[in-house]
Amino acid sequence: MTAQQAFESYHESVFRFVYRLTRRVDTAEDITQECFLAFLRAPERWDQARGSIRTYLFSIARNLALKYYRDNQAGMQLDDDQFSRVIDLRSGQELASVVEQAVSALPDLQKEALVLFEYEGFTLEEIASVVGTDIGTVKSRLHRARERLKRTLAPYRKVGNLHGTV
Amino acid sequence: MEPFDNEELSDRELNGILREWQAPPTPTRLGKCIFAERHKPWWRRIWTTSIRVPVPVAACLVLLFLLSVRQRQAPAPPRVVVKTERVEIPVVTERVVTKLVYRERPAATFYGLQPVAELRPRIIRSGNAPN
Repeated sequence: MTAQQAFESYHESVFRFVYRLTRRVDTAEDITQECFLAFLRAPERWDQARGSIRTYLFSIARNLALKYYRDNQAGMQLDDDQFSRVIDLRSGQELASVVEQAVSALPDLQKEALVLFEYEGFTLEEIASVVGTDIGTVKSRLHRARERLKRTLAPYRKVGNLHGTV
Repeated sequence: MEPFDNEELSDRELNGILREWQAPPTPTRLGKCIFAERHKPWWRRIWTTSIRVPVPVAACLVLLFLLSVRQRQAPAPPRVVVKTERVEIPVVTERVVTKLVYRERPAATFYGLQPVAELRPRIIRSGNAPN
């Protein structure tokens, strides 16, 4: 697969993944661009035996996003405070925004596992390959993330076409 | 407004709610940026390429640069010209005196002294003495 083909196939999903981790369009754009440029500069680093090109690209994007977290630690803490305020004042919040806040409030490792599994359709093996850990750890992170979201989002349960906070 | 129910969501309900959050569309300029960068001639890429330099290394480089600039601005020390010239200096020649010095002087003894057979005394008068 050429770099152009890889870009055509995966740039949208990489962008979505990074956006869901960082919640910033400009940052997601920068990281996606950096991810594909890294692949273009050294395509020989991709070892087909170790995983698909998709998991390879996502692992680059994930490392860049983690670096972004480290560089913007104060900003991430601020987001957590924002989240607790949003939960308290939940009336009038759009459900999409509430879900976004709830997912963002998850610990980073749980969040990336949840985003890859729920939104990008990765298997547990693929997630383990992207984040560089074993399947059991991924399963545990995913379970804890889902349990936390079930509690956090319980007030927003859908009843027919209505949500819990109308 | 109060929520209808605060019990935990089921898996199916959670999946439904999670789908509410949609990511924004990918910016169209993304691909252009990446591949335009790649197809730029090398001399244009030089002006936009950046490299990461650790702060201590950058500080050392700046310091070296400042030192080299300062050294260039400092006045150069005067050049030393080495010139060889022959000069005659009068030298006082000293006379060498040889003196025999006994390291161990033999002690004076009367060993081997023989008494004279006939004593002939001779009186020598001094010039000022009365006759």
